[in-house]
Amino acid sequence: MNRNILTLATLLLLAAVSAFAAPVNYQISDKYNITFTGGGEVGGIFKTLKGTIVFDEQSPAASHIDLTIDVASVNTGNGLMNNHLKSAEWLDAAKYPAIHFNSKKIVKTGATYQVTGDMDIHGVKKEVTLPFSFQASGSGGTFTSKFSVSRADFHLGKPGGEVDEQIKLDIKVPVVKK
Amino acid sequence: MLKRLLLLGVVSGILAGIASLIYQKVYSTSLGVDFSKIAKPVGIVISCVVGCLIAALGYWLLNKWLKNKTEIVFNFLFVILSFATIVGAFAAKLPLDTTSPELFPGLVIPMHFFPALAWLTLRPLFFNTNNQAV
Repeated sequence: MNRNILTLATLLLLAAVSAFAAPVNYQISDKYNITFTGGGEVGGIFKTLKGTIVFDEQSPAASHIDLTIDVASVNTGNGLMNNHLKSAEWLDAAKYPAIHFNSKKIVKTGATYQVTGDMDIHGVKKEVTLPFSFQASGSGGTFTSKFSVSRADFHLGKPGGEVDEQIKLDIKVPVVKK
Repeated sequence: MLKRLLLLGVVSGILAGIASLIYQKVYSTSLGVDFSKIAKPVGIVISCVVGCLIAALGYWLLNKWLKNKTEIVFNFLFVILSFATIVGAFAAKLPLDTTSPELFPGLVIPMHFFPALAWLTLRPLFFNTNNQAV
């Protein structure tokens, strides 16, 4: 009898521990911000972001991030520039309506993390490693990431010109637990 | 003559401002976009009045130099300069939270011509065809 109780207690404890350590499914809140700058007057935001974030600070290897940005939601503050950016020369919104990132591996590097995954921009899929941090607060937190994307890697625009070769992205995604 | 020109400038500016505000209202209502935080009504009227006052001073200076040919040169200059200013409307970079910035030039470009239109409309009420005060 005592042995059965002990086994049951052990199982319950294991279940509780595993439940506590399980990655959390986060929902992206509305106040996210995706900013890009390409030197000088070139810069703007993407207004529409969707995706799933399953993340565990203690066990990043079990985490997974899948994000999709709507290319048509780009806004530079200038209509002509928006149309130019959505044209075939740049993001080609008609043919490639989404920018997609799907993580393969997440590792902790000190106080921050690094996510490796496939980035799909302008019809070119390329494996990239991006740094990010997570600041937990209450029932959610905020993911932030700053990185650069090479225009040449994704065949964006013509070489040279007024736009920098490296496009800097600044991403801030507040999330709440589902 | 300068006093009458300045009066024409003020009245033309106010008329152009009123026309601009009416156009802004019609544009915003029909297209469902609101740029009133960027193109503020007070700013629109002040811009129109200032533009027409500058035109008045320009006319006065041209008249000192060109005499009888002032009218034709001034009208050409006023319209050409009005055209030139639309470059600014196309190049304007609006705040990033503004929706549909591509509709902004359609709002402000016609407004750039209202001062010239108001001036040309009201001028006969202030001066006769020989540039003399009525």
